[in-house]
Amino acid sequence: MEAIRSVSITILLSLLLTAFATPASAELDLTPLPDTAWSRGFAAHLASRAGFGATSSELDALERLSPRQAVQRFIRGLDTQTLAAFDHSGVFDEGLDPFPASRPATTELAKQQGHALGVDVKPGGNRPLQPVVNKFFYWLRASRLETDRVAYWWANRMLTSTHPLQEKMALFWHGHFATNEDKVRDYRKMHQQLVLFQAYGLGGFRELLIGVAQGPAMLAFLDAGVNTKDSPNENFAREIMELFTMGVGHYTERDVQEAARAFTGWNFVGLEFHINEAQHDAQAKSFLGQEGNFDGVEVIDIILEQPVTAEYIASKIYRYFVNEILDPADQAQLGSVLRELDYDVGAYLQVLFGSEDFYRRANVGSRIKSPVELLVSTYRHLGLTRVPGVPDFNVVSGALGQRLLHPPTVAGWSQGRSWITPSLMFERSNFGLDVLFPDIGFVPLDRYPGYTAEIVNVQNRLRQGMSVSAATRPTGISGGEDEMAASNLLADRDEDFNTRIGSMRGWQMALERVKPISRHVADLDLAGLVLEAECTTPMQVVEYFVAEFFAVEVTGSRKAELAASLTTELGTADVASTSTFLEEPLRKLLHQMFSLPEYQLG
Amino acid sequence: MNRRRFLNSTIGVAGLSWLPHLSARVESAHEAPILVAIELSGGNDGLNSVVPYADDAYYRLRPTIGIPANQLLKLDDHYGFNPGMLGLQRLWQEGQLAIVHGCGYERPSYSHFTSMAYWHTGVPHRGDEFGWMGRLADVLSPTRKDDMLINVAATQSLAVKSSVHTPVVFDDPERFQRHRWMASAAQELTGQHSTASSSPADAVEANAARAFLNAVDQSAQVSSARIRRAWKEYATPVDYGIAPMDLPKVAACIKAGLPTQLYHVSFRNNSFDTHVQQPALHRRLLSYACDGIHGFIRDLERIGEARRVLVMVYSEFGRRVPENANLGTDHGSANVMLLAGVGLNGGHYGRQPSLTELVDGDNLAHTTDFRQVYATVMQDWLNVDAQQVLHEEFETLPILRSV
Repeated sequence: MEAIRSVSITILLSLLLTAFATPASAELDLTPLPDTAWSRGFAAHLASRAGFGATSSELDALERLSPRQAVQRFIRGLDTQTLAAFDHSGVFDEGLDPFPASRPATTELAKQQGHALGVDVKPGGNRPLQPVVNKFFYWLRASRLETDRVAYWWANRMLTSTHPLQEKMALFWHGHFATNEDKVRDYRKMHQQLVLFQAYGLGGFRELLIGVAQGPAMLAFLDAGVNTKDSPNENFAREIMELFTMGVGHYTERDVQEAARAFTGWNFVGLEFHINEAQHDAQAKSFLGQEGNFDGVEVIDIILEQPVTAEYIASKIYRYFVNEILDPADQAQLGSVLRELDYDVGAYLQVLFGSEDFYRRANVGSRIKSPVELLVSTYRHLGLTRVPGVPDFNVVSGALGQRLLHPPTVAGWSQGRSWITPSLMFERSNFGLDVLFPDIGFVPLDRYPGYTAEIVNVQNRLRQGMSVSAATRPTGISGGEDEMAASNLLADRDEDFNTRIGSMRGWQMALERVKPISRHVADLDLAGLVLEAECTTPMQVVEYFVAEFFAVEVTGSRKAELAASLTTELGTADVASTSTFLEEPLRKLLHQMFSLPEYQLG
Repeated sequence: MNRRRFLNSTIGVAGLSWLPHLSARVESAHEAPILVAIELSGGNDGLNSVVPYADDAYYRLRPTIGIPANQLLKLDDHYGFNPGMLGLQRLWQEGQLAIVHGCGYERPSYSHFTSMAYWHTGVPHRGDEFGWMGRLADVLSPTRKDDMLINVAATQSLAVKSSVHTPVVFDDPERFQRHRWMASAAQELTGQHSTASSSPADAVEANAARAFLNAVDQSAQVSSARIRRAWKEYATPVDYGIAPMDLPKVAACIKAGLPTQLYHVSFRNNSFDTHVQQPALHRRLLSYACDGIHGFIRDLERIGEARRVLVMVYSEFGRRVPENANLGTDHGSANVMLLAGVGLNGGHYGRQPSLTELVDGDNLAHTTDFRQVYATVMQDWLNVDAQQVLHEEFETLPILRSV
């Protein structure tokens, strides 16, 4: 199967490359880069875009290949390594499925049927619904913490995989088909979707689109599970067209409503796709100018027939991998390439990465690294073989604006300049410091409830012997009930349960089940690297770090300042004589360099 | 006489029970009026926020999720608030809240992102490279100044994008700092790494992304110390509730006397997109939002700055009038906008769109262009010619004028 695909790609490619041999001046130059033009700099550019950057030894190997072979290596991967599957903590149990939409929905259900989430209502006594509420909060916490472990597992794959494009493309698709665990509330569905991105991300877009649309994560995220014949829910149909395939402005509101009808009955049971035939509207629909008794897959196929769909996807991939700025006229060209390739994403990337256009001056070192790219590429260039536990990968990437499995909205992350604000410039620099000088005040947020710290106060007041009502009043608020916030007034209004107690117990129960994240720090030996590279002067050290870590050249005056600063720290310009205390000055230097605006470019 | 002028003429007079800390007010260095825009992202259901309970059509169209009259926080004999909106009911009772009905624009978009971009730019359908608050800042100061716009957010909103100024964008003030490792005494004084600052020569940088990074880096170094100090020196006994949309950070900046007149915060992540199981969720979201706004106004009164601050609440659209089958609502069009502050004429403005004459697939026909509210705020609060910002003339509403 794999072999057949690659043969057909090769045939298509040669056809295409002939077609683009003499591009008109207005078009993107997609002719293959000649072997003679290949250089170490181009290899580094390829590695930073098609992967997460390359170390010197990896560049040595890439430099020896032809550009075509180098691109092939990224598209296919070395495939000599089997990466470990995700190690589940075992937080799920059958009683949790299906998980009600909210805490009120859970307690309502428990009142009606005498049990919920696999827990019975107490026959009497204080707060009879409390065990059910505890279980509700347990799953919210446990699923979130386990999702953080999935993110760690993924980050480690990005760092260590010999097929990094697979992970980079999964990251692209995760931002494209954005779902957020906060709403999905089930790490299993998020993990399942991520595995789909990894397995099919470089294959056919149709298979991927249908896989995502029929995946429980997306169905849950866009409320498709409640899309019924009598009342079609438009959320899913709208986002499929607006965000996943065509872009706004290429369909009418009527098309949204008709597509919603075609998707009625789509649902999931556990982790399986399921069509509820009784809720499916099998009547005739009129969609994008075609008439028929379409079902969801047929609607997707009509969408894929639209030239604008190929343009939208091809352009988005181009903006992600090559350049944010793309002339509208060139979108049609890229769309026709992707359509000619029958939506084969890997083949399309092979054209892009192999083209003259990709190595144009304007496309090199001109892209602002996304937070996840910044973290993973920094770790790769530092030669790390596992993602440090200190600083926390999820906390740092989240503070920088890209927490994995938690994109902000269904539109995913905006790329480019939106990654940068004044505050985020600092956060990027602070990340460097946190890696080079680990924070001894680090608090692991998978053990300490940093985002809901008030429950620690609740716990401490309970331990001091306070009643539940007294212990769950908020800390540090003055004034009577007439000035108290409604949300705080409500916490202990229902005598059947107390939500703050539930939140606290839920955290305790989650701690018992969720495996901890290893909190090792980065294993660094900058002095060893610098001495091995035979740097003898501070300026050579600076030049070496620029070559290892930077995609753009740093100005001479700035390099001179950095070298002078290192000389001051060392107390001498003779680097070789400082080997016993060189490490800390080098880390200080590298932190200064990580703080440069230039370091944000890839 | 409007409330603002009334306050101006009675500063320091005892006996204003609704402004208990006024007499203790210390004159601020800055007296310029301030606008705080609050975005409820995801499309807040205005009809289940400000409920026209006297209109039978409301209960016909929302048989399940319509809120029974006896659960509402009554405003008058026609409208009641969602029970989560206790905070705003308190403001309403003090005359500190204006409700503008039926806000929208011609040929509404039902896409979150498109419609939000229209609200952010103030230019429906045509769009603009810069946001309306960014352009407003450009009119307030045509030359580049620090701290003109503050946007508390993880990523910058289009609303504040300016051609002249670099908005100060931060999320956590405590983290708005470049950490350094054993700075020299000289570096400690300037608060900068010499090597990490950008030289002016970089302004002519050929690589556009690199030039952009340098500009932001410089702006960050200027603003961060002020913001951090403001936050460090701020503490409040006021109850803002559970998720106050970064309003305490805004209060801290105002208390610290920053010259900023334009702030933008939001209830983030499309939270108000209530397609499913809306009632409990929507009530909770509204309680967080309204607790935050109420706490903010009370906090401003406490620090003696309430009279120069106006809050404006908006969302990219309202929701479809008939409920859907999933106890929720789909994307709609016209919506209420809210203005809060001690310097306005509280009450209803605009006209409630008809619930029986729906348009464009069961949606409300807008009765007020949302840019009328923008224009009102610019003309009557910030003393700016709104036409310079909106490129069109809009009729203002008498919310901020003397009556």
